[in-house]
Amino acid sequence: MILLTCFSSNAQVITREDSLNAGLTPQNNPTVISGYGQAKVQYDLRFQTGTANLTRNVLFIGHRFSNRISFFSEMELEDAKVVGGKASGEISMEQLFLKFNINRNNYLVAGLFIPRIGIINENHLPTTFNTNDRPYVEQLVIPSTWRELGVGVYGQIPKIPGLNYSAALMNGLNSGGFVQGTGIADGKFEGSNATASNLAITGALLYYVNHFRVQVSSYYGGSAGLSQKQGDSLKLDYGAFGTPVALNEANVQYNGTNGIHCKALACFVSIKDADRINVAYANNTPSSMYGYYAEVGYNLFQPFTRLNSKSLLLFARYEAMNLNASLPKNGIEDGLQQKQFFIAGLHFQPLKGVSVKLDYVQRITGEYNKLLYVTNPYASNIPFYTTYQFINLGIGYSF
Amino acid sequence: MGGSALLSMLNSCSPLPVLKTSSKESTLSIPEASFAENQNLLIIKNANYEFDILLVKKKDNTYNALYMQCTHESQPLSATKSGLFCSSHGSAFSLDGEVTTQPATRPLKKFKTQTENNQIIIHLTT
Repeated sequence: MILLTCFSSNAQVITREDSLNAGLTPQNNPTVISGYGQAKVQYDLRFQTGTANLTRNVLFIGHRFSNRISFFSEMELEDAKVVGGKASGEISMEQLFLKFNINRNNYLVAGLFIPRIGIINENHLPTTFNTNDRPYVEQLVIPSTWRELGVGVYGQIPKIPGLNYSAALMNGLNSGGFVQGTGIADGKFEGSNATASNLAITGALLYYVNHFRVQVSSYYGGSAGLSQKQGDSLKLDYGAFGTPVALNEANVQYNGTNGIHCKALACFVSIKDADRINVAYANNTPSSMYGYYAEVGYNLFQPFTRLNSKSLLLFARYEAMNLNASLPKNGIEDGLQQKQFFIAGLHFQPLKGVSVKLDYVQRITGEYNKLLYVTNPYASNIPFYTTYQFINLGIGYSF
Repeated sequence: MGGSALLSMLNSCSPLPVLKTSSKESTLSIPEASFAENQNLLIIKNANYEFDILLVKKKDNTYNALYMQCTHESQPLSATKSGLFCSSHGSAFSLDGEVTTQPATRPLKKFKTQTENNQIIIHLTT
C-alpha cells in the first residue's frame, strides 16, 4: 500500500520501509494513510481571463486485516470546499472496498470500486498523466473515476506472462440522469443509493509485452432500475439489463527505455433504446458516441545520466469525440458535441510523485444548436466561438 | 510487424519457470542449475511469503532477487522478460527493481544474494 505514515492500533508510527520489511503482516495490524491531489491556474486566451482552482485532494486510508483481507478507501474533495446551499465543490467516496486474496495471482474486490475501463479510470493519479486536465475523452465518453458498487475479480494468467484479466458485476446506470454534453457520466450512482435491480457487467484483458501495455475492455449494463409500473409507464425496458448501455474500449501504451512515451485510446458507446429514453426523460440521449486520442512524448532529460531521477516530458496529444455520433429520430443534433482538442506541453517531475505541468489546449467544436440552449438576452452575454485556447499551469502529487 | 519482432513477442508469451520452496529459514538456497540455458528469470514461490520472488540472472552472472509486491498499493506484480508490471494502477519496474512507470515511487524490495557451491543464496532478512 502507499504509505506515508502508518498508524497501528497502539498508535505506533512506523515508516513505509518498516511496513514493507514487515510484509504488512496481520500482527502489525497496520492502518495506512496516503493521498494525491492537484491544483491549477488556467488562462483563457480568447477572453483573457484566468481561474485558479484546487482541483482535488484525495485521502487514502487502508487497513490490512490479514494476509488475505484488506480494506481500501479514497475520499475526495473537489474544488477545495463544500458550502451548504451554494454551488461549490464536492466531497465523495472515490473508492471503498474490501479485497480478498484468493491466491497469489487472483483476488476479489467487493464494495465501491473502479472497474478497469480505459486508462485514466483506474490509473488517475496526476503524476501518471501529462496534462493538467485528465484526457477529455476519458471524462466525457468514458466517465472519469467511474465507480459503482459491486463485486470484481482480478488476476493474472501465469502461463502467459504479462496477461491480466478482470471481470465485475455492479449496479447499472440511471438513464434518467443522462445530460447532453456529458455522455453517460451523469447517469452514474457512484455508490449513492444506486438502483440494484439493474446491473452491469464489465470485463477487461490487459497484456504487458515488450514495453507495450495493451488493453481491451467492455461494459454492458441496464440503465432503467425501475419497477414494473414505472417501466411500463415510461415505456422503458426494466430489469437487470433493460434499456442497455454498451461501451467498448481499447488502448495501448508504450513506455520505452529510450525516453519515448506514447499512448492511444479509442472507445465507442451504444445506447440502443435512446429514442425511448428521450420520450421518458426528454434529455436528448444519443444512440451512439465515440472518442479517441493519441499522445506522444519524449523525456528531454533522457540523454543526461545525472538527471535520471528527474524527468521533463515534452508531449503533444490530439483528441476527438462526437457525443451525438448518431441520434434516434427524436434526437436533436448539436454541433457543440463534436469536439477536438490539440494539446502540447511540458511535464516536469523533480522526483517521482511530484509533478509540475504546463500545457496549451486548443478546443474546437462545431456550431451549437440554438434550439437546444436558452441564452441570456442581456448584452453581457458571452458570445459563442467554436475555437478556444487555454494555458494551464499546475501541480500534482501522489504519495 | 517484422519477423524478429514477432519472434520476440512469441518468446515473451512462454510461461516463466517456477520453483517452489518450503524453507522456513531466513535464507533460500536455489541451485544455479535451476536456470535453463538462455533463461534469465525464475519465479520462486515460498509458502511463508505472501508474494513471489523473481530471481533475475544478470549478464555478469550475479543475481537480483526481487519481491513481487508493488510498492504502490501492495498488489502482486506480473513478471515478464521486459520487467515487472502492476495491473492495478500501471506501475512498472525494471529487472533491477527500479521504477520505470509511476504511480509507484519506490523501488522493489531487493533481497541480497550470493553464490556458493553452485547455489544461489537469497537472504530474506535483508
